[in-house]
Amino acid sequence: MQTKEFKVKWGMVIDIDKCTGCGACMVACQVENNIAPMTAKDPHNYVQAITTDRDDASNKLRTLTWMNVYELSNGKSFPDHEVAYLPRPCMQCENPACVPVCPVVATDKNEEGGIVSQIYPRCIGCRYCMAACPYHARYFNWWDPLYPVGMDKQLSPAASPRPRGVVEKCSFCHTRFQQAKDLARQNDEDPNNLPDGAYVTACTEVCPTGAITFGDLNNPEHAVHDLAKGPNAFRLLEKLGLHPQVYYVSKREWVRKQGDNYKAGDKH
Amino acid sequence: MGFDRRTFIQASVGVTVGILFTPVPWKLADDVSIWTQNWPWIPKLKYGEQLDKPAVSKLCDSGCAVNVRTVAGNAFGTEGNVDNPLSRGGICPICANGVQVMNSPNRVKGPMKKVGDTFEPVTWDDARALLADKLAAGGGKVAVISGDQTGTANEVFSGFLAGLGSEDFFQMPCDMQAASRAYNGVMGGAGQVGYDLENADYVLLAGADAFESWGPTVSNMKTFSATAAKYVFAGPVQTRTASVTARWVPVPEEGMAAFILGIAHHVLKAGKSVAAADFAKFRSVVMDGFSPAKVEAAIGVKSAVTAALAQDLLAASKPVVVPSGLSVAAANAAFALNLLLDGGMVSVPEFPKVIDSALSVSQRMEKDLLAWVNKGSNPAVALVYEANPVYALPEEFKAGFLVSFSSVWDETSEKADLVLPATFTYERFDDIQSPYGIAKPVYTAGVPVSRKFLDVMTPADFILGLAAKMDIDLGFETFAEVIAAKAEAVGADYDEEVGGFFEGETVVPEVATLGASVLARGAAPVRGTGAVSLAPYSQLIIGSQNVATTPNAPCVISNNQLVGTTMVVMMSGMTAQKLGVAAGDKVKLSGGNGEATALVKLNEGVLPGVVAAPFGFGHTVGDEFSKGKGDNVYKILTVRFEAATGASVWNGSTVNVAKM
Repeated sequence: MQTKEFKVKWGMVIDIDKCTGCGACMVACQVENNIAPMTAKDPHNYVQAITTDRDDASNKLRTLTWMNVYELSNGKSFPDHEVAYLPRPCMQCENPACVPVCPVVATDKNEEGGIVSQIYPRCIGCRYCMAACPYHARYFNWWDPLYPVGMDKQLSPAASPRPRGVVEKCSFCHTRFQQAKDLARQNDEDPNNLPDGAYVTACTEVCPTGAITFGDLNNPEHAVHDLAKGPNAFRLLEKLGLHPQVYYVSKREWVRKQGDNYKAGDKH
Repeated sequence: MGFDRRTFIQASVGVTVGILFTPVPWKLADDVSIWTQNWPWIPKLKYGEQLDKPAVSKLCDSGCAVNVRTVAGNAFGTEGNVDNPLSRGGICPICANGVQVMNSPNRVKGPMKKVGDTFEPVTWDDARALLADKLAAGGGKVAVISGDQTGTANEVFSGFLAGLGSEDFFQMPCDMQAASRAYNGVMGGAGQVGYDLENADYVLLAGADAFESWGPTVSNMKTFSATAAKYVFAGPVQTRTASVTARWVPVPEEGMAAFILGIAHHVLKAGKSVAAADFAKFRSVVMDGFSPAKVEAAIGVKSAVTAALAQDLLAASKPVVVPSGLSVAAANAAFALNLLLDGGMVSVPEFPKVIDSALSVSQRMEKDLLAWVNKGSNPAVALVYEANPVYALPEEFKAGFLVSFSSVWDETSEKADLVLPATFTYERFDDIQSPYGIAKPVYTAGVPVSRKFLDVMTPADFILGLAAKMDIDLGFETFAEVIAAKAEAVGADYDEEVGGFFEGETVVPEVATLGASVLARGAAPVRGTGAVSLAPYSQLIIGSQNVATTPNAPCVISNNQLVGTTMVVMMSGMTAQKLGVAAGDKVKLSGGNGEATALVKLNEGVLPGVVAAPFGFGHTVGDEFSKGKGDNVYKILTVRFEAATGASVWNGSTVNVAKM
């Protein structure tokens, strides 16, 4: 399949051997992108007596976690058991499965940088893209973003709140990309040649172990360029040929094998 | 002219072409799409100048140095402070949600006093007068309980308490307290123990969940990722820290002191010594009482394991052993081993006090709250500062007149007679003095970066006002002055617009004794009589002993900790088989003074014979993000008093498990 080539290709390299699964990235992502805390009651629902409460946050089929941390186990018994944590943003695939299935072109991969867009006002909530995405990186917004009283004054200026009925996903904090480009233009620098660190996502910024490295995969001056080519680097489900722009690194072989959904005896 | 087939086809083609070329239907479809998503209840963004303002966040125990992100003057987010060594740009998951906690509907909106079973608003002046009367009537039977380990506000509270003639200042039970009591109390050291992880090449985390909840977590994590040191985690549960260390050594919690001394046995055999008065006794205690065979028999850790760890520690150029928990004996054992190894354990000098009558940091750590509560103490007045003892103490906490200085409604506020709402740290002057575990003296002063929306007051300001009213001279009128004086005494570069920072140097740890007589009696493991051991663990995303689950945390909390409103406990398949339970079963855990309901999850990363349960659930008061979710593990802990040290500990707690 033909993939679109971009001069700049934003990507992540996530070192699983450094991720402790603390969840700071998931919190920072929600704050940056105005993902509202899940509340049971909807003050605008005037027929609450005959409807059920909104979902609880432990129902992981209904939460909005653009960045989600998965727990991996090597499946062995005590004392040989090992555990690892795998943060999963949108993979921003070079050859995304979600884009061609969208009937209203609400998602596209057409901008320099290679970030897969999601145009919320255009989305009709059919969820074909969710079915197509093998990484479960897309989320249907089941509930309107209702902030408890007082908390609506803390909205981040980075992302408009989305109403229920649309599909959401990680945008690599796209507003930060725009701001970095604007700043480069103001400083008479090339917005298509941002220095390493000029644009990073919220999750990258807060990660206490620095497990996430973000940058231009095509730019040799960016750390991710070499990290993505390291001997222990891999991508999730590479056999599907979607060419994610998110790479993982682990020295642990069992982790790398799980990254491609490896099963003993499989031939691909 | 009739409407024949040809006309129909022509009309159809015409309409189709017309629809294709006219913008009206597309515009309408577009508008419908936009306007059906544009409801009045969908919040709108506010735009304006964006600024990052340095501040301190004290939601986690050690405190985070942060930048508060503001737009048009409103705080909206929190990120790490790249320029501060406590953060280096990183932030813990609780403090990452700081602004959301600050704006939570669970904030206490104004001072309240209890009338019957309900609360009524009072003015600050009335509250001050009421408390002054109660204190005057209490005749010195006053106690302060603080959940703040690092703030100068403790000086204000302890100075005030001294002025009232009381010595009952207590910290909530914490690792820092055990370390201080071992190092300053038992061993005769001076200062606060620190661990030089930055220069260490081998780190044995003896129960310290250093990358999840122990010590200066963010600093630990930053150092871990920036250095090539080998980390080994020892504990009953393969925690998140253990997920990234080179090795996990399963050790029962109550056996940690014996485990450390089992390693010390090999180190002593290798000829290591310390210039301490009781070294000979220490040597004989360890060589006789903690031989590999005895340690294996007592805690199940094979002699080959302790021997290999000792070899690694001896081979390292700068090894360090980091203890954890409330056990003074375990801390003592770890410090003795560190001194034998002459590695990365350091002593961090305390900063000078600015209130003369206040307690020093080590003096604050001396008193044992659990022991005091356990003996049935019932002070006339108890002042609770940024703590939630009603929730986080295994024993029932009583006071004649309870005052809660808290920014949010919690169990202690609900039980209190007077609730004095505290400003959030972003709304007030506050500081962080060398959090326990940090390798250098570090001081960070924060200033208000967000305007106040509620009728709240900085607790230290209230106490200073109250002290003035009661003719107790603390030398300051406002807490802003205290912070400025502290910054000056510390030598920090301080500005009341942006705060201040200071980093000093460590000193070599020196002790009078190795605590041999304490270790001889206090290091042996003591386990309860229940069916299985209980290994409680903390995850900051669930909360801390002072702070409940934050608004954005519930969807981050894994189904391995909570499903619906039921807590999840983890155990190995072997333990489940022994207990006759299976994955997904609902069970009742009985231990200590209470019971807890939980779902069973099988996890081979838990020592057989142990049930791992998360701290932080089971709040009965608070917002919908924490209230009614799971059960409170503090209530099923068994508190006992450690032999020789007398410290209240809950390691060795056991529970009985019954299928529901």
